[in-house]
Amino acid sequence: MAPTTTTKTVEEPPKETKEIPSTLAEMKGSIDESTFEQILEMDDDDSDRDFSKGIVFGFFDQAESTFVKMEDALRREDLSDLSSLGHYLKGSSATLGLTKVKDACEKIQHYGAGKDETGSTDEPEKKTSLSRIEKTLTQVKEDYKEVEAFLRKYYGEDEESA
Amino acid sequence: MDGGQTSTSTAPAGNSSDFVRKLYKMLEDPSYAEIVRWGDEGDSFVVLECEKFTKTILPKHFKHSNFASFVRQLNKYDFHKVRQNNEENGQSPYGQNAWEFKHPEFRANSKESLDNIRRKAPAPRKQAQSTEDSVPTQQIDLLNQQIVAQQQQIHQLHERHTRLSVDHQLMMQEVMRVQKTILNHENVIHQVMTYLLSVDARQRRDSKAAAVPFQAQGQAGSTLSPSQGASMDDEPSSPLQHASKLLNDMNAEIQFNLGGLESMGEPPKTTAVVPTPALETAPRNGVARPSAADASANTAMVYSKMNGEIEPVVYPVGATNGIDPMYSEHVNNVPYPMPPKQEIDESRRQFPDNRKKSANVDPGWVRSPHILLVEDDATCRQIGGKFLYSFSCLIDTAFDGLEAVNKIQDGSKYDLILMDIIMPNLGGVSACHLIRQFDRTPIIAMTSNIRSDDIQLYFQHGMDDVLPKPFTRKSLLDMLEKHLVHLKTMPPGIEAPQSAAAVTMAAQSSAAQSVKEDSSPGQSPATSMTAWQSPGQFPGMTAVAPNVPQVQGQYIPAAPAAAAYAVDQNGVQYPAPAVALATTAPAAVRPQPPRRQLSEMSSATENPNMAKRPRMYAHQAQPMVNPMQAARTG
Repeated sequence: MAPTTTTKTVEEPPKETKEIPSTLAEMKGSIDESTFEQILEMDDDDSDRDFSKGIVFGFFDQAESTFVKMEDALRREDLSDLSSLGHYLKGSSATLGLTKVKDACEKIQHYGAGKDETGSTDEPEKKTSLSRIEKTLTQVKEDYKEVEAFLRKYYGEDEESA
Repeated sequence: MDGGQTSTSTAPAGNSSDFVRKLYKMLEDPSYAEIVRWGDEGDSFVVLECEKFTKTILPKHFKHSNFASFVRQLNKYDFHKVRQNNEENGQSPYGQNAWEFKHPEFRANSKESLDNIRRKAPAPRKQAQSTEDSVPTQQIDLLNQQIVAQQQQIHQLHERHTRLSVDHQLMMQEVMRVQKTILNHENVIHQVMTYLLSVDARQRRDSKAAAVPFQAQGQAGSTLSPSQGASMDDEPSSPLQHASKLLNDMNAEIQFNLGGLESMGEPPKTTAVVPTPALETAPRNGVARPSAADASANTAMVYSKMNGEIEPVVYPVGATNGIDPMYSEHVNNVPYPMPPKQEIDESRRQFPDNRKKSANVDPGWVRSPHILLVEDDATCRQIGGKFLYSFSCLIDTAFDGLEAVNKIQDGSKYDLILMDIIMPNLGGVSACHLIRQFDRTPIIAMTSNIRSDDIQLYFQHGMDDVLPKPFTRKSLLDMLEKHLVHLKTMPPGIEAPQSAAAVTMAAQSSAAQSVKEDSSPGQSPATSMTAWQSPGQFPGMTAVAPNVPQVQGQYIPAAPAAAAYAVDQNGVQYPAPAVALATTAPAAVRPQPPRRQLSEMSSATENPNMAKRPRMYAHQAQPMVNPMQAARTG
């Protein structure tokens, strides 16, 4: 039914103007190829990819619920909550090699801790931290959407994701 | 009053007390009758109006106005207050506020008996009291005190016992670990011996043929221990044989000790027997003194054990001297008998080439390591678990530090604990701290917080190492092999040159840097980063003595590794045709091109060393090795 993972089938999703890439290499900016590949390597069977698919889709759930929690924490202006949520999602996105998402989460973690985006300098203004988080959260959701679309397609479920 | 005074002076009984006489005098004065007077029976006196008595009479007769001290004084002379409840209604016949005092010798109209009223001797009186009323209570008190004291003692003993049992457990674990290490060392020594014997045999053959006796051997001796070189040539007996004998004796002992050990993975029997027969055939001259050769080989071999996944490394032996005698394909070209372990090596060698995507690595465990993975994040837990599974590990997971501590407390035994740092309920550092109160299982911090002060904190709380997140399959495997050396099957002596190269490499390319890094985790983030991200850089250092800080291990490897390398080198110098083969060897063995290397932590920038390593091995091996040789021979 679905195209196998490595074929370069070009599928144009009707809703998107941008074409969703089909190969990992095309996602270089968002996904660290080698990190993701070592997870693919753990699949017992290249054709069904049960293991990696389970993890990736588990991550989707985790990410989406985390975003909701972040928005909630943002409304409550709970910086420390935001920081730990950022840390939490950072861990799993990094493990999957989703570099863009990971970087953004790291920023949120630092902002939430009252630091600048690198975590090295203190940021005394809570308002500044919150507004930075708000911006980063918007960005990370876009980044996430991008990799999600790619990964869903990669696993042959692009129709549902759109 | 005045009369009272005078009568006092005329009182005949000098023996009687001043106080008693004053008292008697006072009572003789009828003008006080409303306030104080003799009792109705004449054997007591009654203070009817306490207040007036205190204010008017006491000052006159006793020069104070303190009723309480008057009563005290009375008590001293053994007057007793007459209890009012003697009466039916509890009322004194003299009125409610009356104080009636009595003394057997104090009676109206009996001035003489006053002499018998004496001030009580305080001490005997007290004793009397204690023997009377308070004997039971005192005894109870005493018993109570004893009980309390005993309870305290029991408590202390109990605490001490707990402490001792914890210590004992720790010691047992240490002993087990040390014994395992010793076993492994034994194995290595035996293999080295076998190898040396074969070398020796061949050298003799060769030297006979070439009629240049002792030449090769002199070389060997001088490389191994220069002082030994000369003496070995003169030695008519066989140091090598002697060494083997020693080894065999030692082996017997060790095996005896092993009886008490439970999970002994790999008894050295198979390899241990090897040296003996081989030895008999080569009884002539020693190539190596046991102490020197063993020590060096030992250390070097232990490193090699860690290199489960074979790095693309150039063999110094092959590159400079000839064939790699241990490489499986060359077995047939090697003109002397090989250690029996060769088969295992062969299979291990081939595996990297065969390995495709989903192939599970078997790093060659004696038994499956039991790993506890403590991680709150499902993604990391799944992937980490899968990786571990692919390394043939038995995995148990815990959602947070609390669960981990509970598992350990409930007696679950693990070979290694991988511990996330930031977790709900109980973080990794606290969990580690708790576990360390009663358990010494190696704990690896798994975290993206790897700033120097973070790392310092981890170590302070008893963690053994840090695995930076996101970990890769390789970094995880390196970590396992580093801390689970005792579970590895003995790799044949082969990989020694490899690790020699690795150490040489490190010494050359990043000596200063890595020394600094390892000696103080509290360096700048960038430097310590590289240190922790490349656990394979000095594999096995901590394996030799897992609890020794790395600083100490740092300087050890270079020298022994070099020595081991020399041993190999000496063994392989001969067959000219083999050289061609050997040059191809590194290429053949190089299994995994840098693909995974790039994934290393996805932080190539922070860790340039790591990413570049394969290429450096390939191209710079020669210059790398030469300085070592220079240092060694010079």
